Amino acid sequence: MFEKTLSDLIQGLRANKRNESEYIQRSLSEIQHEVQQSDMRQKSVAVDKLNYLHMLGYDMNWASFNVVEVMASSRFGEKRAGYLAAEQSFHQETDVLMLTTNLIRKDLASSNVMEISVALNGLAQVATADLAQDLLDDVLAAVGHSRPYIRKRALVCACRLVIKYPEGLREFVPLLKDRLDDADPTVVASAVGVICELAHTNPQNYLPLAPKLYRLLTTSSNTWMLIKIVKLFAWLTPIEPRLAKKLHGPLSHLVSTTAAMSLLYECINTAVVGGIIDVQLPAVDSVGREMDFAELCARKLQLFYESRDHNLRYVGLVTLAQFQRRRPELVAAHYGTVLRCLDDPDMSIRMRAIEAISGMTTRKTLVGTVKRLMSQLILSNTVALQQANAKSDTMDYSESSDTQAMPLVDASGTSMVTAQGSIVSQRSSAGPDVADNPEYRLAVVEAIISMCSHQTYTNLTDFEWYVATLTDLVYIAGADVDERLSERFLDVTVRVRQVRAFSLQMARRLLSDTHLVERAASFGGQKGNNALMLGTAAYLLGEYCELQPANSDDIHLLLPAGLTRLPEDQQGMFVLAAHKVYANWLRHASEYWNADTWEQVRSVTTQMQQLLSERILGSDILPGGTVASRMSLLPLQTSSRVRLLVESLKLVSVTTSNMTDTAPPVCLELNALFKAYELNPVSAAAQGKVPIPDTLDLDTFIGDVIPDTTAKVMPPPSPPPKQRAATATSRQRKESKAKDPYYLPSVDDIPVVEL
Amino acid sequence: MTIKYIFLVSRQAKIRLVKWYTMLSQKEKAKTMKEVSQLVLARKPKQCNFIEHRDTKVVYRKYASLYFVAGIGLDDNELLMLEIIHRYVEVLDRYFGNVCELDLIFQFQKAYFILDEMIMAGELQESSKKTVLRVIAQQDETEAVENSERGWGDIKYVFANLTHAIYIIARIHIYVFLMYSTLANLVDTY
Repeated sequence: MFEKTLSDLIQGLRANKRNESEYIQRSLSEIQHEVQQSDMRQKSVAVDKLNYLHMLGYDMNWASFNVVEVMASSRFGEKRAGYLAAEQSFHQETDVLMLTTNLIRKDLASSNVMEISVALNGLAQVATADLAQDLLDDVLAAVGHSRPYIRKRALVCACRLVIKYPEGLREFVPLLKDRLDDADPTVVASAVGVICELAHTNPQNYLPLAPKLYRLLTTSSNTWMLIKIVKLFAWLTPIEPRLAKKLHGPLSHLVSTTAAMSLLYECINTAVVGGIIDVQLPAVDSVGREMDFAELCARKLQLFYESRDHNLRYVGLVTLAQFQRRRPELVAAHYGTVLRCLDDPDMSIRMRAIEAISGMTTRKTLVGTVKRLMSQLILSNTVALQQANAKSDTMDYSESSDTQAMPLVDASGTSMVTAQGSIVSQRSSAGPDVADNPEYRLAVVEAIISMCSHQTYTNLTDFEWYVATLTDLVYIAGADVDERLSERFLDVTVRVRQVRAFSLQMARRLLSDTHLVERAASFGGQKGNNALMLGTAAYLLGEYCELQPANSDDIHLLLPAGLTRLPEDQQGMFVLAAHKVYANWLRHASEYWNADTWEQVRSVTTQMQQLLSERILGSDILPGGTVASRMSLLPLQTSSRVRLLVESLKLVSVTTSNMTDTAPPVCLELNALFKAYELNPVSAAAQGKVPIPDTLDLDTFIGDVIPDTTAKVMPPPSPPPKQRAATATSRQRKESKAKDPYYLPSVDDIPVVEL
Repeated sequence: MTIKYIFLVSRQAKIRLVKWYTMLSQKEKAKTMKEVSQLVLARKPKQCNFIEHRDTKVVYRKYASLYFVAGIGLDDNELLMLEIIHRYVEVLDRYFGNVCELDLIFQFQKAYFILDEMIMAGELQESSKKTVLRVIAQQDETEAVENSERGWGDIKYVFANLTHAIYIIARIHIYVFLMYSTLANLVDTY
């Protein structure tokens, strides 16, 4: 009799903040008891309490049946509570939903308007495919109800049902179209909303309604409905281009006169998404000036991203990103404003600004934008770098200051980071910056790359600056962009001849940074190291080594101490590059053969052999007995290349063991291993264009048929297709079956043993 | 305008009201709510009211100590959602008379009913404040009539109202006491 009401429960919960879970457990057991009572009032109160606890996260599915009982109550208040609990807690698999079918049907047919609305609401929320199928007819009947209040709810409910049960769409659509002519404007608005929802998936069906919708667009003043109609036209216009010409009239009227920002936004969005701005269309401004519709939209859009309200700015930038993709010339003037948005403290706005900017850069603006973005990356990364360096104790001090001062070194060599101390102190007062967010950094780096490589580098005038930027990004990126950077590096160097010399310089710089190499080596296969970039640098050094004056120091760069700790691919690249550089240098040296060069050749050869034995085949790095066995422990690529290098070194040292008058031929010819003629990059589709010669026959054996030693275990291989005949295969199959000990042709063959 | 969910969360990350318009498992719902609450509570006042979370846009606004959060699809108009939230708050304000968080805690059912009147199946149904309030008033009347039909046989109901009334009176007394004591302090200092 004195059970707790809902308010008591809530109050008790607030009072028992410390032992909340016990209190809830107690209440749950009480509710369990109450819910079994036959008194409907108690049941509904219990269900209310359960609802509340469900909101706090406690499961109430054990009481589903009781909820249905409460839904069936004749009193409105209890029924409403039951439906609410059902909406909150039922899901698609709740089995008691089947029991509710008749219940809902009864409620839908009731004479009490409130009961019908409650039932419609509940049904829309919990509908499953079965419920939808059973009750669609009742709901469609309600669409024709005398009260507009019910009609508009029935429309939305039917929409939900039709989504679950698509076959009902056929019956629903004619009714829906009728409702557009309904006398009550709220019902019309509801119908428009439903059409908007359905047209999302299938706009073709609703194209015939365009004239009616157009009339509504021009006559109505209900902002909510206008937004829906405008959005609907955004779906329809792509499939019916003639709509664009008709729409620009009322749209421009709306755009110039409306005071509601949301409607303005929707109109501009439709204009952009629906492609209405793609063509030149006349429009009238708010002051009566004639101008292009797209220009009008651009001008109104400016209001958004120049406003002080962050929401409007965000929304404006989103639309701007799409706008400039279609009509870039109209928004090019606002480049400065968008650039300023890059410094906004809000990350969402910054991300959107980056997106917009990536498409808007031109030749003149590219360098400035990239510098700005990179300075953002630096200002926060300097702090991170310093902290990281402070922690590591194996640092050479000159190295550490070198890496920190290195970022943003221009191609001309001037540094943008002037006094290191001043930059750091500026940062420490500011607190955590947006640029520290790794997602943001990744976006920035990708934006820089895409801006520069837009349309195969049309915007880029100075490739050397680009290569310098890429190397700087290696240091300051702070995000996992290794792969992209190395791709770009390789791409630019291979495509653009003039920049190759500079690239080699940069590559050399990267490789001589022992800190970088150490980091790449120590992290091994993990992400975040710059192994790929280093590998690319090594490859480039090897490939284009003849562009630089031959230098044997490069070899030391290419066989660094941590070579075996690098990832496999990179190891192979390094060794191969070392080989190439050595061969090149050897050839140059051999052209001016005298006693000094002989000395040099011998010393470099022995040095290299030493390096190899120390760093790669050393007994401290690889366990094992002989050199050969150790070599087999290396990864496959590396071992083959190392083998090659070792052999050539042996060859050279043997031939130069005595002083000769002219260079031994091997020194001159070794280079021919790599440099017969220049290889140009080949397009990916080139192989497909090579015609297959007619005489090519891939099926005949080239030489003798190799006897198959596995014939005893497996059936013999089938002969080439030209000689195969249908009978041969079936004969073969029979033969193989006869040989197969486990195959029994018929049941009678099964041996039966009498026990 | 497909609204996927609406929920109200206090500054201490307590959920005051939650309404889902899509079918998800209980676990997924809890996970989404937790993530989105964390995102929303971490926002500073100057930042814009839209966040991107997975494949939904989250639109939120802070009213006093309560965050009203809604999740909409990627194609939907965020400014419109802000206006819908604002309309809902206005209706709540009109109904409860200067609504505060306490009202929503103790009469959360009424909040749900009002929300259901305005938004059904993820679409805005009723934008007119007057209509919504009229319908809710009608429903309240019906419920009151039903309850009075039960008569005095239900003493528990009377008790419930009584405890609530005492609670409110106690609250008023506490406020009066506090005011009096602050006044007294002021007087003393002079």
